[in-house]
Amino acid sequence: MIKVQNLVKEFPKKDGSKFYAVNDASFIANDGEIVCLLGVNGAGKTTTMRVLSTVFQPSAGTAEIQGWDIRTHPDKVRENLGFLSGDTGLYNRLRVHEFIRYFGRLYSIGDAEINRRMDEMAELLDMKDFMDKKIEFLSTGMKQKVSIVRSIIHDPPVMIFDEPTSGLDILTARNIVSFIRSCKERGKCVLFSTHIMREAERLADRVVLIHKGKILAEGTLEALREATSQTDLDDIFIHYVNRSNLETEVQAHEF
Amino acid sequence: MNSKKVMIVYRKELMEVLRDKRTLFTTLLLPVILYPLLIVGFNAIMARQTGVLEKKSASVAVQDSVMNPVSMAIIEKLAEVENYTILPAAGNAQSLYENKDIQAIVSISDSLTASGLTTYQVYIQYDTANEQSMTVYSRLKDKLAESKNDLLHEQLELRGVHTDVMEILDVRPIDTASSQRKMGMILGMFLPYIMIIMLLTGASVVAADLVAGEKERKTLETLMVSGVGRLEIVIGKYLTIITLAMLNLVVNLFSISFSMRYMLSQAGMDMSGASLPLKSIFILLAAMLPLATLFSAILLSLSTFSRNMKEARTYEQPLMMVSMIMAMISFLPAIEMSNLMALIPVINIALLFKAVMIEEYQISHLLITIGSTLILDVFAIWATIKLFKTESILFRSDDDSGGVKAIKKNKASFFSPYNGIVYFSIALLLLYYLGSYWQTQDLWQGLLKTQIIIIALPVLLIIRMLKLKSRDVLRLKAPKLLPAALIPFIAIPGAILVAILAQIINAIYPFPEQYLENLTRLFNMDIPTWQSFLIVAVAPGICEELLFRGLFPRFFEKFGVKFSIIITALLFAAFHLDPFRFVPVFLLGLLLGYLTLRSGSIYLSMFSHALNNGLALFFTAFATQPWIKVLISDSDNLHYWVALPAAIVFGIAMYIFHKTTGEKPCVE
Repeated sequence: MIKVQNLVKEFPKKDGSKFYAVNDASFIANDGEIVCLLGVNGAGKTTTMRVLSTVFQPSAGTAEIQGWDIRTHPDKVRENLGFLSGDTGLYNRLRVHEFIRYFGRLYSIGDAEINRRMDEMAELLDMKDFMDKKIEFLSTGMKQKVSIVRSIIHDPPVMIFDEPTSGLDILTARNIVSFIRSCKERGKCVLFSTHIMREAERLADRVVLIHKGKILAEGTLEALREATSQTDLDDIFIHYVNRSNLETEVQAHEF
Repeated sequence: MNSKKVMIVYRKELMEVLRDKRTLFTTLLLPVILYPLLIVGFNAIMARQTGVLEKKSASVAVQDSVMNPVSMAIIEKLAEVENYTILPAAGNAQSLYENKDIQAIVSISDSLTASGLTTYQVYIQYDTANEQSMTVYSRLKDKLAESKNDLLHEQLELRGVHTDVMEILDVRPIDTASSQRKMGMILGMFLPYIMIIMLLTGASVVAADLVAGEKERKTLETLMVSGVGRLEIVIGKYLTIITLAMLNLVVNLFSISFSMRYMLSQAGMDMSGASLPLKSIFILLAAMLPLATLFSAILLSLSTFSRNMKEARTYEQPLMMVSMIMAMISFLPAIEMSNLMALIPVINIALLFKAVMIEEYQISHLLITIGSTLILDVFAIWATIKLFKTESILFRSDDDSGGVKAIKKNKASFFSPYNGIVYFSIALLLLYYLGSYWQTQDLWQGLLKTQIIIIALPVLLIIRMLKLKSRDVLRLKAPKLLPAALIPFIAIPGAILVAILAQIINAIYPFPEQYLENLTRLFNMDIPTWQSFLIVAVAPGICEELLFRGLFPRFFEKFGVKFSIIITALLFAAFHLDPFRFVPVFLLGLLLGYLTLRSGSIYLSMFSHALNNGLALFFTAFATQPWIKVLISDSDNLHYWVALPAAIVFGIAMYIFHKTTGEKPCVE
């Protein structure tokens, strides 16, 4: 389970002022649920996920992964978290099994257990032919499979996917989508980000709309449709963005 | 820190690095093949060349203005040299010589001594910049020595003196150097240089790959979200670089010692007993290990700072340049290892190396070298870990550079560490060339000009050009009353403590006489005391503070307040161009930086700086007063007991200062 509470992440700008990449964001993702963080490029999706995965420290507020606070127990958070993004790099000079074993060991999993899980996943994802190959000789699709196995080698209860299909061809993207579904079926808590409305519509149980670092709305697709009386997710999104812009203007007038 | 995870990272990095053909080539293969090829090849060419020169035919023009049997005999003797043609010098001899058609011109003349003896002068005109001409000269000289011997014999016999008188003093050198030390001498000259450069080259390839390379390949983030902490990642990577650096070192050392031995024996030296003893190799490795760790840490932090491999390689260049220059010390014959030298990184290794090679090193030098390098090492690795934990550095994406236009548009972008270093370098150059020149013209005017024109004026110009608010940027803000009142109780005992520290250093490593004279000159200028005070205390207090506590911290503040204080103090110390006062000035810089950044007011450090400098003047001015003898001994040194009350006052004043100045003003 992911619990985000009043999360703020600011970056210093060159002129000395601050840029709020994430501004007071709060939302929850439950076990067995796929939650989509939806927003345009630069909305703050990646920053939110980097904070959740302990790459960045929050400027204010906090979040919990499986009950572990990201500020106080980053190591526990990482143990309970699988992270995958569309442009994840791999160590080209390692062989596939070496690569997966490396990350398994970093999670303090015993070699026997790593082998068992690796065999299981290789069977499942049809990877047996290239487990001994060096990663530099793999195709994009193969590499993506290796990344998938890497992200779940420690069988984490929470999965975070940052733009998981960006830059991938249709077939490889489909692998990822079905992998995300399978995570949900196994009762994992899944958070994924995208700027593609269709992807969100197809996969998500609930949608969190994020714009300029702020959460505009949150809920199931049905609930959002009802609230905005729009059917298309595109229109729903634009509706909320317009409303938010209007609010900012009103606030500006008030002061 | 989880050492098991460090080892997992380490093993993986090592495996990956060793699979990289490029790394393998530069760190391991290159030294193995380079030295034998270089040395053997060079040797073969050298041997051939000298052989060729010896045998090469040459023409020598002889101008005989004596024309008697003796001069004829001399010319005959010269003609004995194989392959040499002796020509009588004609009018065009000089132009033939200039065209290199003849290699030397010999002219013989004679004169009478007071006792009536005819003496002969043989002039040999040759060209020391031409190897063939040099060979010709030395061969002619050998022949002329024989002629001289013949003439002497003749003369002695003529006078009825036994010719054994010529052997009356026979100088016979006995070389006590074992062939081992001879080899050591030659190796010690350039081996340190090559080794230090090889060490850096080997380590830099790996270091650039390990962090900047991971950024470029987008694997760093993956690693950071996995089950390993940043500390473990840094240490694991650090160990990998050290391992490769050491591996590189061992290969280099063995490879070079084998090929050198071959070369020396080829060069005709008796090398039967010469080999680099295993003990020496181990001592050298032990001494090089801390340097390898230091280089590794610096390279790792550069790699962490860089956005990609290309950038990392660029940042490595200055380190390479500085190390090369320092390593060149081993080429200089006059510089020998001392306790002071053993404190300076890179130079200490170069000199120690030389000493070990001729088996004349001292254990104390070895220990100081290792110890001082290790201390720097700890600092470097601490900085690397710090950098690695700073997200703005690790995920640096924005461009720092942008030219003057961009700076004008976006003023804050001017304050980048890069620009800070550039600014400092320019100021240092001006100080070195222009400032020194002014000061040799007229000491006190030169000092004043340096302070105002080189140090203060550019600061104000920059503030004006960028249309910045000098009040905010330079912290020209009125201090609170209490901290300001505390300054005398901080600055004066602080200066006393630093002075006593300098005294202790002086007692261990005495300053050169010349240096002390120059320093006294500063305090005994032929001007009224108030003027001295203005130049030595007030002007630096204002001008140097504007630059070092006003402008410079702004360049480095993105690394945090502590770091910017440390780095500006280092620059401050370097700016004084005085290795003997480096540590005291650095400490003063730390104190002044702290006072300004803690209180948010530069006036405090100006006041403090002026007091500090004024104190020295004060003691000089009143040195003859009887009451000052309470504090100062006859040899112009402060009594050591003064340190205790000074430390107490300093401690209390600093404590109150720290408590009464806010947490916030450091970063407004």
